Amino acid sequence: MLKPATSEKLLCTVLIAIALAVFLVPIFIVAVSSVKPTPIMFQKPPSFVFEPTADHYINLFTARPFAKFIWNSLLVACGSTAFSLTFGTLAAYAISRIRHRRIKDLAFWILSMRMFPPIAVIVPYYILFKTAGILDTPLALIIVYSTVNIPLTTWLMKGFFDEVPAALEEAAAVDGHGLLATFFWITLPLVAPGLAVSAVFCFIFSWNEFIFALMLTGSEAQTATVAVMSFWSSDAVQWGRIMAGSFIIVIPGVVFVLTCQRWLVRGLTMGSVR
Amino acid sequence: MAYGRTRNRKIFLIFLVPAIAVLFLTTIYPMIYAGYLSFRSYDLAKPFVPRVFVGWANYREILTSSEFMHTLIVTFKLMVITLSVQLVLGVGIGVLTAQRLPGMALVRTLLLIPMMISPVIVGLIWLFLYFPELGYLNYFLSLVSISAVPWITSTTWAIWAIAIADIWQWTPFVMMGTAAAIHSLSPEPYEAAMIDGNSRWQIFWHVTIPQIKPVLISLMFLRAIDAFKLYDIIFVLTKGGPGDATEVLSMFIYRQSFTFWRMGVGAAASFVSLAIVVVLITFFFKSLNRSQERI
Repeated sequence: MLKPATSEKLLCTVLIAIALAVFLVPIFIVAVSSVKPTPIMFQKPPSFVFEPTADHYINLFTARPFAKFIWNSLLVACGSTAFSLTFGTLAAYAISRIRHRRIKDLAFWILSMRMFPPIAVIVPYYILFKTAGILDTPLALIIVYSTVNIPLTTWLMKGFFDEVPAALEEAAAVDGHGLLATFFWITLPLVAPGLAVSAVFCFIFSWNEFIFALMLTGSEAQTATVAVMSFWSSDAVQWGRIMAGSFIIVIPGVVFVLTCQRWLVRGLTMGSVR
Repeated sequence: MAYGRTRNRKIFLIFLVPAIAVLFLTTIYPMIYAGYLSFRSYDLAKPFVPRVFVGWANYREILTSSEFMHTLIVTFKLMVITLSVQLVLGVGIGVLTAQRLPGMALVRTLLLIPMMISPVIVGLIWLFLYFPELGYLNYFLSLVSISAVPWITSTTWAIWAIAIADIWQWTPFVMMGTAAAIHSLSPEPYEAAMIDGNSRWQIFWHVTIPQIKPVLISLMFLRAIDAFKLYDIIFVLTKGGPGDATEVLSMFIYRQSFTFWRMGVGAAASFVSLAIVVVLITFFFKSLNRSQERI
């Protein structure tokens, strides 16, 4: 668009370098600290040349059954993703195709469901799940996370369905295919990228979630985020284990950013930006 | 489609029902239950006091208490700080990184990483940096001759410590939205402005900003709703303290319900917070409608 002068170009580069440093160094510090021996953990200036140790990771998995907590996180995240993706996609297709003047209100109502403060509904959930006998099970979290993931999937997939040309589906109808056959064999394959992105968003949200997991699980269904937090106590903060656990939890999100950045904008802004 | 229109409509309804049913069960039902609790005296610490209908007593109690008003002020203060800094920094970095230069796409991608990190982990990362005596942040500041800041142990600084962690995580969100909005603009107004001999700053202020304003407004409402729910970072960094310096609304609800076991009062506070969020959501949808009409 505009041709910047050389000095401006230099200023730009410096500013961008500062931004990169500010936003990435904290993550780098976690990675380094997770393999740093405890005696030099807080040494200043921070040392970056040392013999890396696996002690923190070993302690993380032996002090508490951290592998089980990761398994719980995976179970909840995959379960919630499958559940929400199925229901959300079906609803999105209907919302995208129904011609009715109130359908937009319904779409907004569904979206608004993911915006309420979680803390406001924790007590009812606790009582409800206790009565149903599913407190401290992955099922409880799968149900709770669907309140965020179904609206997210519905809203995202609606955008993808809106872009499928109507002519394609009409042609299939002329050929004598019913609505269901058209949906499964023609429309769904076309929105496959949307399905992938929705799935990853659902997965990451469930994997990262903390407060519901803290309140609704005990020792059985505890997830990784809650387990890492348990190494923090006022008398002794086990920074090595916290950093090791944090690094493990950060990995899926980073992988997601690096592989799906094209679609991130759309998912995160709820369609404010295409 | 000449054939089977009513049949299609039936199938669409069948597609819709499961999602709506699940949302009803998992959202509407708990809200009704919270509403029911908010009109009762439900005190788990006093199991022998009957759980009776108390009318508006819980609401009257919180709305007239100075503690609750204090939490509302802290909540909005935090919201104003984080939103304004995120807007300025995010638009700034967004404009810089929206340039079509080699490597810029990678920079934009890398800057998105903080958003994908679990908020509780963001809290722990910043706790590590702020930690009294040990944390790196004061060391880095001392390199540029800034004296040690009591980040999480002082009543004045604690709210800034929380704000910085949230700003770190969510400035990339505004940046990403700004860059995407700039990329969707058409070049004609720029060409016209350049022919008229305007400076780059004038063009930014009078051409770019007005065009991306609808998107920015939507993004800010999304941030406001999230800022209102902000919880995990506070839970890790200060737990509402020192004293009640960072006790936001969600922390107040948590304390009433799970520290004092006053479920009725906690539920009443929940409803006040729901009411505020409903207002924010309504504004967000209005702005979203407007920005989508422009596309």
